[in-house]
Amino acid sequence: MDGKAFLARVGEYQKDGWRLAIINATSILPTEDMEHGAFDVSWSFAKDGAFEHLREQILPGEEVPSISGLFGGAFLYENELRELFGIKVTGIAVDLQGQLYQTSERVPFAPSAIRARLEASGRAEHPVKKA
Amino acid sequence: MPNPFDLPMVGRTLRNLVSRPATRRYPFEVRAPFPGARGTLEFDLDTCVFCGICARRCPAAAITCVREDKYFAIEQLTCVACGACVEVCNKKSLRLSIDRRAVQTHADVGPAGERPGHQEWHKQDVVAPAPPLAENGATPAVGSPAQA
Amino acid sequence: MKRTIVPMGPQHPVLPEPLVLDLILQDEKVIDAVPTIGYVHRGLEAMVERVEYTEMGFVVERICGICSFMHGMGYCLGIEDIMGVEVPERARWLRLIWAEIARVQSHLLWLGLGADAFGFENLFMHCWRMREEILDIFEQTTGGRIIHSVNRIGGVRRDMSDSELVAIVARLERLGQAFEETARIFQTDPSIRHRLSGVGVLSREDAHAVGAVGPMARASGIGMDTRLSGTYLYDQLDFEPVVETDGDCLARVLVRVREVTQSIGLVRQMVDKMPKGEDHPLDTKVRGLPNGEAFIRLEQPRGEVIYYFKANGTKYLERFRARTPTFANIPAMIKLVKGCDLADVPNIILTIDPCISCTER
Repeated sequence: MDGKAFLARVGEYQKDGWRLAIINATSILPTEDMEHGAFDVSWSFAKDGAFEHLREQILPGEEVPSISGLFGGAFLYENELRELFGIKVTGIAVDLQGQLYQTSERVPFAPSAIRARLEASGRAEHPVKKA
Repeated sequence: MPNPFDLPMVGRTLRNLVSRPATRRYPFEVRAPFPGARGTLEFDLDTCVFCGICARRCPAAAITCVREDKYFAIEQLTCVACGACVEVCNKKSLRLSIDRRAVQTHADVGPAGERPGHQEWHKQDVVAPAPPLAENGATPAVGSPAQA
Repeated sequence: MKRTIVPMGPQHPVLPEPLVLDLILQDEKVIDAVPTIGYVHRGLEAMVERVEYTEMGFVVERICGICSFMHGMGYCLGIEDIMGVEVPERARWLRLIWAEIARVQSHLLWLGLGADAFGFENLFMHCWRMREEILDIFEQTTGGRIIHSVNRIGGVRRDMSDSELVAIVARLERLGQAFEETARIFQTDPSIRHRLSGVGVLSREDAHAVGAVGPMARASGIGMDTRLSGTYLYDQLDFEPVVETDGDCLARVLVRVREVTQSIGLVRQMVDKMPKGEDHPLDTKVRGLPNGEAFIRLEQPRGEVIYYFKANGTKYLERFRARTPTFANIPAMIKLVKGCDLADVPNIILTIDPCISCTER
């Protein structure tokens, strides 16, 4: 993604008085062309009744600039992106150093982790146990 | 400057002193559950055909249903009394009674070491019905289609 | 220049919720706070991999006990949005009625906890006694006091008859009259005013900059209420967002006090407006599998909640995200806590109405 252009667009939202509503990521499972998967990240802004999004597709290892300089409340979402998904967000204003979520499995939503869980459970039909 | 003698709660406090307690003396007085309350899951073995839809639909995975063995088990402590199984059962074998679940403790372990709250049923094989009599009153020979 | 780190939570006598906050103190003043969440992180969003979309509603409504109804409603609204399901009108009204009653229940719970936190235990018991009336209404109409399980994709699972609704409105109005005395206590009692007035002031600009939502923002003068967008039949109702301008803890208490009365009035409006009669369908049959994505925004008692769904045409959703209002209010809380005395920290944490079960999912 083009970090500078992205930050410029976020800056427009901030100047016009929009509020950051949510930063959300979805893991895309590995495919033939993307062997490590990818992330579909959306930044959503709200103002009065309007609700608009910026969407980017991020590859694992790609750096994403933090918007916490423009929107103070963004640090919580960005720490979550780093800890649950493994997305490399750089320059977060309040960097919690991986201590925000105390999960037993590091980066549980990384594409490889999701793929491993799905394979292990065979799409998890409820176990039909023998007596 | 607020008036230090304007204490609105004083009236309520004095009234509380002379009125009955607002709380019920549980467990000596137990309020009956309202009709329609979602309480405990109950199972009727006679009507069940072991299709297994309830087990697949349970969001808590509290039901085990094995068609080949005609085995049905409910983990009462895992069940969240949502009623999804009750709705999907075509034979109406499951129902939610209004009474709250009986309290289980660690001492309530089953004979084979099952968890507290584990309930299971086995449907015995139905005895094969007697073959029909042939027209002349004799029973059909072994291997005839009527004995299937 | 001695700095101490005081770990607050997850278990703490004055904290109502298992929030972990490491406070960095200098003498008695807090200069920074580092949040950690994860004590009640159950990985409910990952359960979409294991639970089919038809039953995921039951999991979602168990994210939290206080906000349970709106979680279930939001989930069903999202799937209905993706699949293009038209919910019958009476079912839509029933959902909103239950939602507003749930809002009353949530605010009464919080008012009680807030009173208990600054030592007014009598008032705490009083608020919760009134809340019992609401929980009885829920048990009679939905089968459960806290977890209602009454939303289904396409509609609702149970009906409330017209006579039942009229009786419920009468009970709520009696409750509203009893609540007036409690509201007067919150508004005028000198001990409450002494503890809360001027504490934890969040200015309007700061509230906007950190992205505060719900009563937190409305107490600072921002008239933000997701119900104003007019979706889900709210455009047929007549109400104004409850706004206070002081931005301190007392203002946040007063916003919630006034919202209790507002919600009782809204239930009366809804019962008047909804289609009457016996032969209305309660739900629409849903066929097929969801494919697509949706954002749903609702006004929970604590503020704006955003749900994101992504479905890929199979029985299992690909992604479900619930951004609950407390998640958006935590940066506001951290901003408020900086610079205050240690003794004020519990009061400030309480005034954002934290619901950590919702935040951590």
